Amino acid sequence: MGFVAFFVFSLLYLTPGDPAAVIAGDQATVADIERIRERLGLDRPFLVQFGTWLWAVLHGDMGISIFTNLPVSEMIGQRIEPTVSLATVTIILAVSLAVPLGTLAAWRVGSWIDRLVMVIAVAGFSVPVFVVGYILIFAFALELEWLPVQGFTSPSEGFWPFLSHMIMPASALGLVYMALIARITRASVLEVLSQDYIRTARAKGLAEDKVLLGHALKNAAVPIVTIIGIGVALLIGGVVVTESVFAIPGLGRLTVDAILRRDYPIIQGVILLFSFVYVVLNLLIDISYTLLDPRIRY
Amino acid sequence: MATVDPAMSFVPRKRGRVLTYFRRHPTIVVGASLLAIMAAIAIAAPWLGTTDPQALAPRNRLKEPSALYWFGTDMLGRDVYSRVLYGARVSLMVGLSVAVLSTVLGLAIGLVSGYVRILDAIVMRIMDGLMSIPPVLLAIALMALTRASMENVILSITVSEIPRVSRLVRGVVLTLREQPFVEAAVATGTRLPAILLRHILPNTLAPLIVQATYICASAIITEAILSFIGAGTPPTIPSWGNIMAEGRALFQVAGYIILFPAIFLSITVLAVNLLGDGLRDALDPRLARRL
Repeated sequence: MGFVAFFVFSLLYLTPGDPAAVIAGDQATVADIERIRERLGLDRPFLVQFGTWLWAVLHGDMGISIFTNLPVSEMIGQRIEPTVSLATVTIILAVSLAVPLGTLAAWRVGSWIDRLVMVIAVAGFSVPVFVVGYILIFAFALELEWLPVQGFTSPSEGFWPFLSHMIMPASALGLVYMALIARITRASVLEVLSQDYIRTARAKGLAEDKVLLGHALKNAAVPIVTIIGIGVALLIGGVVVTESVFAIPGLGRLTVDAILRRDYPIIQGVILLFSFVYVVLNLLIDISYTLLDPRIRY
Repeated sequence: MATVDPAMSFVPRKRGRVLTYFRRHPTIVVGASLLAIMAAIAIAAPWLGTTDPQALAPRNRLKEPSALYWFGTDMLGRDVYSRVLYGARVSLMVGLSVAVLSTVLGLAIGLVSGYVRILDAIVMRIMDGLMSIPPVLLAIALMALTRASMENVILSITVSEIPRVSRLVRGVVLTLREQPFVEAAVATGTRLPAILLRHILPNTLAPLIVQATYICASAIITEAILSFIGAGTPPTIPSWGNIMAEGRALFQVAGYIILFPAIFLSITVLAVNLLGDGLRDALDPRLARRL
């Protein structure tokens, strides 16, 4: 995480153009620019600037947006709800579909359900998020008119309005993620099913569902949970695009707008936040291994 | 599949072998042919009935697909068919360049850090750091730093892919260095560069080629994403991502502007992925069984 912070800071530092000159405007004299530079601390050495910045970030101060003059943390705070809802719905949707599908595919290798899962897996990797998004909009919003085309409604305004705005973006975003999880689940369950203890479980007359859930899936859990964590990187990349396609006012939109306006403090803040979430999530997953597999100790 | 010796099947000596090989790996054939068609389209774009993809024709704005404008025209009257065909150049160019560059650089980093233990600790911490930033986000950040151009798009995506390649290579190298043939080479006094190039490198190639095709597919998608959100290929060069970005505001009236690049993009990525799956099954049977 320290490296990420350093990298993100360097990003702003290396940005072409002198922020002091930008703030001072066209009419400013050299002395004006110099004064502003001193006030912002831009005349100090790189590492001192980095230290000051890191200290501020650790206190929740991520700087001020160049464009709106609002604190970055405040702007992120305003936009965080749609993104968190979208990510949560997507993860729930993808995991609850992918894990059973992958398990069934492994249970009946070579059957139609196995082939279906593999086709979904290959297609999911090949069709980009925004393509799925537009196909869904065409089909369910424009042709069938079942769901609203775009936008976001807060869950506090009722569950159905919220969900109806979430189904399409979450499906579009979740497809790649689902493909990834289903594939790993299938592979991992398949490997466990060839173990001796599965044969023993079947031989002692255990019902097939108990064999699958209690023995196979439980022992296959570690790689599945790992990929759920790693796959979040795909989700984060996808969120930026999905929010653009479905006009959801979340962090992804904020990032895109910031890029178009070259609003570096915001880009910095968002990347830092996303990376932080990603790292913490994967740390939690590493810790959860001990629950899933008592043999693993740290 | 297990009966195919990877070394033999990859350089088939007889005609019969080629045919058997293809019959055993249909995905390679399908993927490679689709990709070849796309490459042909990209190269031959000027001779496929296209006009200048940047030519404005304000009087022919937003024409639906017809005999004259096969894929219709956009809000500036530009021919979508021509733009999509020229867009294939950007996608394939980016995919190929990123695959080659990140493989070569990742290979070099992975080889050295897998074999030279002192460097390993430092290099891998840097790679861990880079890997903790989701790749698309890293590419966005790097693009925000630089000017929009195709070279910068390629470099940004390459940087975000390198950590994964070097991890893979390092993993392979770590298992290889314990092998008897490497120990024998060390015992006979072979120098380090020679060990790396003659003994280690050839054994990392199979997983690396497979990895390169997946990187190619993901680079094509990332380029489209970058261009779609306005941080990728500059608007002066038509690419599938920025054609779709331009169609975004109009998708309810002129959905075809988005539809055609979307179809081409999906087919291309599918082709590369199929090729990758096929190569994986053929070159790396152990990995194939695991996935």
